[in-house]
Amino acid sequence: MNERLQRFSTAGLLADRKVTQLMGFTTFTLIFFTVFSFNIFFTPENFRSMAYQVPEIAILSIAVMLSMLTGGIDLSIVGISNAAALVAAYIMTQKMTEGGDISTMWIIAACLAGILIGLICGAINSVLIAILNVTPILATLATMTLFNGIAIGITNGVSVSDLPKQFMRVGNGTFLGIPTPFVLMLVIAIFVGYLINRTSLGLKVLLIGTNRKAAQYSVMGDRKVIAWTYIISGLLSSLAGLIIASRTSAASPDFGNSYILLAIVVVVLGGINPMGGFGTVTGVVLATIVLQMVSSGFNALRFSQFFYLLAQGGVLVLVMILNTVFEKRRINRSINKSLDS
Amino acid sequence: MNFRKLLRRNETVLIFAIIVFSLVIGSKSPEFFTIANLFDILRSSFVQLIFALGVLIVIISGGIDVSFPIVGIFAGYTAVVIMRKFELNEESVLVPIALAILIGIILGGLNAIAIAGFEIPTLIATLGTAGIFRGFMLSFIGASFISDIPLGLDKFSTADLIKFESEAGTLVRLHVLVIPVALITLAVSLLLNRTIFGRSVYALGGGVESTRRLGISVKRTQAKIYMLVGGLSGLAGILYVSLQRKANPYDLAGSELDVIAAVVLGGASIMGGYGTVFGTVLGVLFINMIKNNLVLLGVSSSWQRAAVGVLLIIGITIQAIGENQKQKRQRSATSKEAE
Repeated sequence: MNERLQRFSTAGLLADRKVTQLMGFTTFTLIFFTVFSFNIFFTPENFRSMAYQVPEIAILSIAVMLSMLTGGIDLSIVGISNAAALVAAYIMTQKMTEGGDISTMWIIAACLAGILIGLICGAINSVLIAILNVTPILATLATMTLFNGIAIGITNGVSVSDLPKQFMRVGNGTFLGIPTPFVLMLVIAIFVGYLINRTSLGLKVLLIGTNRKAAQYSVMGDRKVIAWTYIISGLLSSLAGLIIASRTSAASPDFGNSYILLAIVVVVLGGINPMGGFGTVTGVVLATIVLQMVSSGFNALRFSQFFYLLAQGGVLVLVMILNTVFEKRRINRSINKSLDS
Repeated sequence: MNFRKLLRRNETVLIFAIIVFSLVIGSKSPEFFTIANLFDILRSSFVQLIFALGVLIVIISGGIDVSFPIVGIFAGYTAVVIMRKFELNEESVLVPIALAILIGIILGGLNAIAIAGFEIPTLIATLGTAGIFRGFMLSFIGASFISDIPLGLDKFSTADLIKFESEAGTLVRLHVLVIPVALITLAVSLLLNRTIFGRSVYALGGGVESTRRLGISVKRTQAKIYMLVGGLSGLAGILYVSLQRKANPYDLAGSELDVIAAVVLGGASIMGGYGTVFGTVLGVLFINMIKNNLVLLGVSSSWQRAAVGVLLIIGITIQAIGENQKQKRQRSATSKEAE
């Protein structure tokens, strides 16, 4: 019986120390803000609004996570999501009649066009990183400027707003009582989780992140794997962009610039090693929820948004410091153990 | 150095690009070839060049810093706030500059603690500290725009070295900053090429482990690098405030890309170990030339950012292709030796 329990716990979520820590952290944050601001924080309205805000950041973070698992990074996520949202929004506003009516077909077509933009942008990143061997930071920094620049150039920096009602229903509606974006996020998280843990592509991604040289010598087609991760990252970013557009009924070239820092904070807090090779989707989703609670909690306590920015940076640096300290201690302990035996 | 090698150098390519671009714009609008335009390009390059020199040092050492614009505006804004609060000498220019450099060095020191002390990857560390610095400044130091900056700084913005009226009747001005900026550029160049510290920066970019085995303290070198960059950023920040004649805490954030783009276009290798001050100067001038004169080409200013993106992609692609070819040559050379 005991053995079975142990197997269950090692096979399940608890096996991952980082995820366990994060669950503790989530509970702590929840209790902390509930105690300090029960009336505002611990209300159904607040939880509902959090459930609408979490998905976009979670999906963008999952996109960053994929590239970080290979040891790279994707800074162009926000550029891609805005470009995708703008294209979709543009098509919708063009096909909308005076009264704001539009056929569902056109909405779907517009979304598909947005997704296509995401795939193309991801493919551009892939060409630069996987084929031309440009360092991921630099390549995505450049494409981020490019995508953002094209979006500003085409729109002249003006946002496209007043999107059709049917489209807004996706971002603001509920599915079986749960906010639709949250459901979409869960579907995407499960899909990426499956991709990483159950497919050969996922295994290769982790291998490349652990040791690129070894991956090269094992002839797994490391470039192809890296190319796929950036394409999927582009796809996910475009989905996040569509969700943002449908929630806010607008698309703008400079929306969510702060999301890049936020997404990286989430990913690192979620236990993904920035050098690659290790990380879980559960961690990322939990980390998004923690940060969203902190954000809402700060709001409830009437702290300014800049204080939240300070907290974000602080959390990022603190988590990294703790990671290195614990890592060192663990290595020392294992060295001592092997010396003892 | 033989001729072919000279042709392949990044600086040569950049000079060619600058000449070609000047000819294209110049043929379309004669306004381009005026001294006024040249001085304008110089004036808009000062602040960026000082930032770029700092970034160059970091990039040569194999790191990347995205917090420098925030450090700059933090230092510039805070220096102005301190000047006003303690009613320090209104007329002085050197006091706020010294204050800003000091604040920059302190912030750079915090970066150094995160990077050298705790071995956090540089991009992540500076992203984090950028958030911290910006959040701290806007929450605790001030979030409001200061338009009446100390008199000395205000006057400094119009301190011109050369000033005359052109034939077209417009005022042509060359700011006095051109001299100190040139001196700083020279100093950084000497620092990188003629001192032990400079050589250890290059060594660090070449390889961390080999640097350690050479007997160079990696941590100490990194700490010095990030403090130096902090100081340079602080200086750039206060000069920006002075030239703009206002201290706006929301400024500069987001300008890191243009500076990094200029340094990379200037031939610095993002993997570390290679980069020249001359290339960086050319890179900064090139980017500013394009940003200032796209309008003359009939391209609307909203396409500026896209143009920088395209340039950056072209620059890194050329660099990457060169790097790949070099590796291939090395590989075939070693396999030939093995035979």
